[in-house]
Amino acid sequence: MDKRCIVHSESIAQMLLFMNNKDDGGIKEMKKLLVMILTIVMVTSLFVGCGSKTEEPTAAKPAKTEAAKEEATKGETEKTEAKEEMAGLPFEGVELTIMMDQNTVAEGVEAVAAIAKEQLGLDVSMDRSVGGSEGDNLTKTRLASGDMTDLFVYNSGSLLGALNPSEYLLDISGEPFMAKIADSFKGTVAIDGAEYGIPLNTIMAGGIMYNKAVYRDLGLEVPTTWDEFLANCEVIKASGTSAVIGTYGDAWTSQVTFLGDNYNVLAENPNFATEFEAGTAKFATSPAGVKSFQKLIDIEPFLNLDYAVATFDEGVDMLATGEGAHWPMLSFVMANVSDLYPEAVEDIGVFGIPGDNPDDQGLTIWMPNALYVNKDSENIDAVKAFFELYLSTEGLDAYTAAVPPTGAYVVEGYALPGDTMSIVKDDMQAYIDSGKTAPALEYMTAVKGPNCPAITQEVGSGQTTALEAAAAYDADCLKQAIQLGLDW
Amino acid sequence: MKASKIYSMWFIVPAATIFSVFFLVPVLISLFFSMTIWNFDSFRFVGFDNFVLFFSERSLAISMKNTVIYAFLSSGLKVVLAFFIAIFLTSRIKSKNFIRSLVFFPNLVSTIAIGMVFKSLLHPTKGFVNTVLGTVGIEGISWLGNPDLALYSVILTDVWKGVSIATVIYIAGIVSIDQTFYEAAAIDGANEWSKLKNITIPLVRPAMNTVILLSLIGGLRSFDLIWAMTGGGPGFASDVLASTIYKQYAAGFYGLSTAGNVIMLVLIGVIAFPLRKLLLQKEMD
Repeated sequence: MDKRCIVHSESIAQMLLFMNNKDDGGIKEMKKLLVMILTIVMVTSLFVGCGSKTEEPTAAKPAKTEAAKEEATKGETEKTEAKEEMAGLPFEGVELTIMMDQNTVAEGVEAVAAIAKEQLGLDVSMDRSVGGSEGDNLTKTRLASGDMTDLFVYNSGSLLGALNPSEYLLDISGEPFMAKIADSFKGTVAIDGAEYGIPLNTIMAGGIMYNKAVYRDLGLEVPTTWDEFLANCEVIKASGTSAVIGTYGDAWTSQVTFLGDNYNVLAENPNFATEFEAGTAKFATSPAGVKSFQKLIDIEPFLNLDYAVATFDEGVDMLATGEGAHWPMLSFVMANVSDLYPEAVEDIGVFGIPGDNPDDQGLTIWMPNALYVNKDSENIDAVKAFFELYLSTEGLDAYTAAVPPTGAYVVEGYALPGDTMSIVKDDMQAYIDSGKTAPALEYMTAVKGPNCPAITQEVGSGQTTALEAAAAYDADCLKQAIQLGLDW
Repeated sequence: MKASKIYSMWFIVPAATIFSVFFLVPVLISLFFSMTIWNFDSFRFVGFDNFVLFFSERSLAISMKNTVIYAFLSSGLKVVLAFFIAIFLTSRIKSKNFIRSLVFFPNLVSTIAIGMVFKSLLHPTKGFVNTVLGTVGIEGISWLGNPDLALYSVILTDVWKGVSIATVIYIAGIVSIDQTFYEAAAIDGANEWSKLKNITIPLVRPAMNTVILLSLIGGLRSFDLIWAMTGGGPGFASDVLASTIYKQYAAGFYGLSTAGNVIMLVLIGVIAFPLRKLLLQKEMD
């Protein structure tokens, strides 16, 4: 029962107490009438107010009606309203739901969904959930309780293992559309020979996004070493702009500086990933590993004043408007920028987190998140048809038209359109063409400590030293390795 | 005689069934699973490894310390502040009833809502609190972003909420003190302060003990306010036992999370039972 009910009783009680203080006989009748009226009001409001369910993203019932109408997604409400019969469509009347976090731009999937409606008669609706570790938790809980939507979006790579995919997800390895996907991606959604997902969008780069306008105004050049980067930050700070954007209010964003440095870690020791998986290599004992955490400490003096509580959305605003010059972030954020600040898109570029060698600056690459299939979905055939459409040229064109690509697609034979934003076409492509890329560690090993965001947030706000943070992360990974059954 | 004995035993059965199914059995199952690595389908017995891990890992040790600080500080502040507010509200003022409802209001609002509202109020650059402080010259305190201040900001918000119910309990206690004590003291020439010290405080002991116990146990278990305001951050600075347990659960370490719950049970038991005995004894005197 709602707390509002208690307020009602409380205020009624107050009123009666107040009235009891007067013992005038004539008032007794008015009092009786008043009491009756108030009781009726209270009881009816109990049924009206307390009876309605509050909106919760964890609602057990299928979210298609509630959540789809709540979110102001453009094409969605019209689609669910349009119930006209489409003669001869293979899946007419079938409804699919997709669970996706709120930080990811949905227009691309919706564009494909619109085509699905036209060609297949499918009604695809989105269930938007919170992001970050809360969303993680929600996904795991919904899978474990058998309450998941038909499809859902989740990370590829090592994080997939935590979902226990053989238990909850459909194996789609034999399907015809899987042949179109690059092997490098398929490896990140495969466990023990079974493949579970298709790529949601494009690969992303994890590096330092920078505002080219600020660089132009201050006459700065893209740094090739970490010291050059810090020197640039000094100049920017002196000019009054925030040199580096910090959005530690959303803890996951603080990880990018550390995770994006993987290129430099691998440059020092190319076997780091395999040794780490086996338990022999540690961050605390590898100089490049400690340096990755040190970089978080180095940027601390250049962060915006409210970095400890600023959110991801505020970071997007700062980058696009030039209030902040650099932002260690994944390039998927360009989708948010092109959505909110389309005129600023060409002003933003990216460079790989620099190491100490000016000749070897590389970009750390993240594979796209994947769309996975709930094994218990009732519409498996519809899902497979939807996937077929999603990976077809038509589907990809629709996606690209709705969400400008923020990297290359992992679908073989699909070329990016000519008007792709320069950060992708020029900045990122240069690294890919010269071969100076490395996958993020989470795609090379199954172990990623769950406390990573908190540890990077801690070292980034100056509470620990780099060595302590590296040791803490190692301990966290050890904990996860034990829980996963690895012998460390 | 025998008939009445059987008669009374059967009456216990319904309550005993509910109690054992919803309380005893889960506790026993938790004790078992806290010694395993578990993922809802299968488990692997590991003995006390989970507990050792809980104590040896730095982030978890911080959370134990924070829990104790949180519980004792918030409880202490509530006990003292609520007492004086209750004294004020039982004296002769006209708008007594209205102010009492006003003071009780924070308790009616959802803790998460309070957490979210205060989180935006305490924003370092755009929050209302800092705007007001800015007009008197105190600039840019990051209430929830500064690792040293974060826990204390949450404690103060908890006190704001909890003082409401503590006040109500105190009012009940003060109002039940026999007026003849005060009259006798007035005849003997006692002033207000002396009356307070020698009559009110000793005789309000039962209410004070209730407040101490409730707020201490509540403080040890507190989770929703911390989660809504800081999520345990920045880093691990405002993590308490309950939020750490939640984080282990969210990471999928169900056995470790259960072990944390067992530790919390033991901690609360170790603090609450002796304290209760001590307070009751003092009450008797």
